[in-house]
Amino acid sequence: MTSRSPALLLLLPGLAFLLIGFAVPSLAMLFAPPGVTAGEIVGRLGQMLTDPYDLRIIGRTVGLGLIVTVICVVLGFPIAYLLARSTSRWAGVLLALAIFPLLLSNVVRTFGWLVLLGKNGAIGQLLTATGLVDEAPQLLYTELAIVLGLTQLFLPLAIISCYSAVAQVDPGLDDAARGLGASRTRTFWSVVVPLSSPGVVVAATLVFAGSVTAYTTPYLLGGSGQRMLATQLFSYSSVTIDWAGASATALIMTVLVFVVSGLSSLVARKGATS
Amino acid sequence: MKTRRPVAGTLAVAGYVVMLVPILFVVATAFTSERTLRFPPQGFSLRWFEAALGYDPFIGALVSSLQLALVATVLALLVGVPATLAIHRGRLPGKGLVEALFLSPLIVPELVVGLALYQQLVIGFRLDSFPVLLIGHTVLMLPYAVRVTGASLALADPALEEAARGLGASPVRAFFTVTLPLLRPGIFSAALLSFVTSFNNVPLSLLLQSRDFRTLPVTMLDYVQQSYDPMVAAMATLILAGTVVIAVIAERTVGFAKIFGGINR
Repeated sequence: MTSRSPALLLLLPGLAFLLIGFAVPSLAMLFAPPGVTAGEIVGRLGQMLTDPYDLRIIGRTVGLGLIVTVICVVLGFPIAYLLARSTSRWAGVLLALAIFPLLLSNVVRTFGWLVLLGKNGAIGQLLTATGLVDEAPQLLYTELAIVLGLTQLFLPLAIISCYSAVAQVDPGLDDAARGLGASRTRTFWSVVVPLSSPGVVVAATLVFAGSVTAYTTPYLLGGSGQRMLATQLFSYSSVTIDWAGASATALIMTVLVFVVSGLSSLVARKGATS
Repeated sequence: MKTRRPVAGTLAVAGYVVMLVPILFVVATAFTSERTLRFPPQGFSLRWFEAALGYDPFIGALVSSLQLALVATVLALLVGVPATLAIHRGRLPGKGLVEALFLSPLIVPELVVGLALYQQLVIGFRLDSFPVLLIGHTVLMLPYAVRVTGASLALADPALEEAARGLGASPVRAFFTVTLPLLRPGIFSAALLSFVTSFNNVPLSLLLQSRDFRTLPVTMLDYVQQSYDPMVAAMATLILAGTVVIAVIAERTVGFAKIFGGINR
């Protein structure tokens, strides 16, 4: 294992899988799908970036992605903070409960919202029973439903990323700040938050990248009225068989994720040097 | 921890509600005796569990999904563990680049990879659905194998292997008697993660499955779109039960947080 050739030999099967099952097909699909020239894809991209219908899909995808990212950080950071700083033995159970959904199928998790938001769903029933509204409002197949579904899906990721960051901040620093007279709130904002910000950046990146590429949630909770890039991509590739449209959509989605990941590692590097 | 931090506490409770309450509602509707998904559920019965377990498309898809997840996991480990060894212990030029390459399937949207494999391998090369699904799932699991086993390899002292070699063990023997036992928790974590990820996968399987080979999550997705009855809730509850078993095994053996700590750095 110390010389070069056995090492290469060990890598070979993996490299073959990556080339045949990932890199080559992906590049071919993005830039040279069957019967479509690169020029046509570029043309299609230009069309999508100017057409109001396509722009609304792109806008919805990015917009909802940003909203979900903010919500996940706002809800996830306090959970991570409380769990990391808690000495209660329940903290372990609560942490496990926060991580467990990651193991559970997205379909199962998203399905719950159908029960909650559907026509005869719990929330509608509750609203009419309490007399707040006469008729249950349309909750399913709305952007709100997508935001709820995506938040449920990605909150565990946000919690884990924030948790490992907060856990690395020495609790002694909190005590020091408190001892020097800082209030609990001030300690949180000027000690805990800045020191764990790399974890927040990771959390935000993971949540955003997941949200703009998620398929199950917009499919089940957004329906055909609230298309997002992922559902649009599926429709191009299996319903209308529009390879140029599919490649252009895939390019937009991929670039979106790459740009955000790039920005986040840039921020991380800057944070590390300053 | 709740009373002294009212704002953080409230946000945390809201977070847990969003994460867990929908799952509880799935379970509650699975036990209804009614024909529709309605709330509150009326009566208690196990009829929808009976229905789900007697519904051939679900059971067929369940078997397919289990097969696919099992084979893909084994394949990803067989390919990924040697690659991890090469990356961490071999004298390779451009190690960082090689590792980045093995992790790259994590960054590209899964739906995009699924479309690429469908268009290029299924349509282009007329390959059957199962081998392409297997390739796709294996590629998707490779980053887990490389990262999670890599993390436990990084903790293992290379001096131990050198000692074994110095005492006359062949490289192969040193690997099987020294390195592999050290890697066991990492390999176990990677296997668990890979299996669950493959079993639950939708974006990749969506386009790649065929009439003869359908996976369970996609079958359930299609079913929900057509009819809206508690049978899917029952199937979902069974999946939940299976996932709880896996989670308990994970917690008892390597620990939950450790498994996921490995992939989210």
